[in-house]
Amino acid sequence: MTPFQVKDCGLLVRMSGLPPAINLRELRERIAACSENVLFHHFCETQLRPAFDHPDYRNDFAVWAKWYLSDRVLAERLGILDPFSMSSLEELRGVTIDIIDERLSEVVMIPSAAQGDEFFFLETTTVVFDTGERVTHPRELAKTIKGMTNGSVYYHFLEARRREPVGRDDFSAWLKGEEKKNAKYIRALGSIDFYFHSLPNLKEELVSELGKVERKR
Amino acid sequence: MSDRLSAYERIVGSSRITQLRRIGKKLGGIRVVHVNSTREGGGVAEILDWMVPLMREAGLDASWEVIQGTDDFFEVTKNIHNGLQGRPVDLSHKGWKIFQEVNEMNMERLRPTLTDADIVVVHDPQPAFLLPLCNGRKGKWIWRGHIDISRPFRPVWKVLRTMLEKYDASIFSMCEFAQALPHTQFIVPPSIDPLSPKNRDLEMSELENVRARFGLDPERPLLVQVSRFDRFKDPVGVIQAYRMVRKVLPVQLVLAGGSAADDPEGKAVLEDVLEVADENPDIHVLSLPPNAHETINALQRLADIILQKSTREGFGLTVTEGMWKGKPVIGGDTGGIRLQVVNHHTGFLVNTPEGAAHRIRYLLHHRNRISEIGVDAREFVRENFLLTRQLREYLTLFLAIRREADVRMLEV
Repeated sequence: MTPFQVKDCGLLVRMSGLPPAINLRELRERIAACSENVLFHHFCETQLRPAFDHPDYRNDFAVWAKWYLSDRVLAERLGILDPFSMSSLEELRGVTIDIIDERLSEVVMIPSAAQGDEFFFLETTTVVFDTGERVTHPRELAKTIKGMTNGSVYYHFLEARRREPVGRDDFSAWLKGEEKKNAKYIRALGSIDFYFHSLPNLKEELVSELGKVERKR
Repeated sequence: MSDRLSAYERIVGSSRITQLRRIGKKLGGIRVVHVNSTREGGGVAEILDWMVPLMREAGLDASWEVIQGTDDFFEVTKNIHNGLQGRPVDLSHKGWKIFQEVNEMNMERLRPTLTDADIVVVHDPQPAFLLPLCNGRKGKWIWRGHIDISRPFRPVWKVLRTMLEKYDASIFSMCEFAQALPHTQFIVPPSIDPLSPKNRDLEMSELENVRARFGLDPERPLLVQVSRFDRFKDPVGVIQAYRMVRKVLPVQLVLAGGSAADDPEGKAVLEDVLEVADENPDIHVLSLPPNAHETINALQRLADIILQKSTREGFGLTVTEGMWKGKPVIGGDTGGIRLQVVNHHTGFLVNTPEGAAHRIRYLLHHRNRISEIGVDAREFVRENFLLTRQLREYLTLFLAIRREADVRMLEV
């Protein structure tokens, strides 16, 4: 197997150019019009943002609905969306808009935020660094992941799913090189319900699942 | 191998430093010029003080130019500053003319440097008019807004916007500050230098010296707000909060502020503060010189609680500094303070003197929370608000802007 190259990443954030949304109708319009990068940022890159504890919801739209539109019903419906379970970002956009349309048909007044609490649409450039570290055997993977930064875990396990082969994390893609031999590792990685984990938790989970495979060997 | 960058390895880890060197190499010695309006005093000068040498060590040909201005000019730019932060100000045609003339005068002096630079970063509004004057420029120009311009006074913004529109990109500390401009707007929060005189570890004897110098009682809790004497920092609100707490607890307050060459309003605000303090021996109003970094450092370390009760704040580096020293911060619920102060984790956000008094009392009655929050606050700064992160974002931003494309992924 070719050695696995450990990379790290950081985000360079910029405004998307879309005007901010002050109410639910504007949010819907902007989500319909924004680029996939914007959608990806607000659903998936939130994990890399400074945070302390487990936020109520993993995506920015649900958080905004709860805290600034004071619409807990909408927040819960948006909050359960798992972008990685969808076949594409376009599907995610469609489902999100459906949920908002449904909510707009239920409410009497359009939920609105106060001035200063608008939703700002952002996108990023992901800056990727080669750490120089290499993994040469699957049994080293758990130990290597244990020492990884949040940026590395995010890049190899979450962001990877947007790259070819789409929908697959980098570890599994590497292990697929010898699929039969590494089937247990691949299954272990596939068993993780990762989207709702924080990155430190996800790292623990990865180490734990891969560790179980090692112990069974 | 440069020593200065390496010195940060023990704080942020060697991989972060390797990343910086790698991006620097990729930029290949480009000429970067920073321009602002003061060499010392205030957060911008402090950032440039470390950023420029570190950019050099990362391999860039970086330099820092300071525009020269008259008293009239700084009166005008203070008005512009206040207007951008939302205060209605009276800026006449004559005022804008002074603004323009001083920029023209500086352009004559700086023309060779600025024309040839690969990247020029213009900090805040004072030198913003340099770009329209720089015919035949070679490089990209970036405007870096350090202040909260989320809701500017429109007449001021309308004039300034005509200058900013010509830039190739702008940088704001928070997305809330960004405005409708026809170029890419990056979001880069500022940061502190953990090894600078203002933030380095101090010996106990150094702390004791400062305590003795200002007659602070070691037996009683100490509240400290460090900031320029500026109405947006609400020093009077801090004194009001202090008085509410003092009725029930024997606290002391330090309001320590420096002055900046580009802030002519500071003297008047200081006089107001002294009047409100009314010679109360437990309210220490300290007007410190701009280079009193170790004194500020010591005061922050002596504090039980750091206050930053601003009503408008670009970022609030004094909040970051306080958190880095392991102190809970009670900060105004505004601007960049919101990015740093997380309720119950790194401190508390407040909107009124009453709110500040309430949180001070809570913390002083739950002393264990002071140390618990302090530990979290320091780690939060280590992860998010140290200079290595900001430097990395600037360098990658330079790479991105030179490619003239909003690329989704950049491999370094």
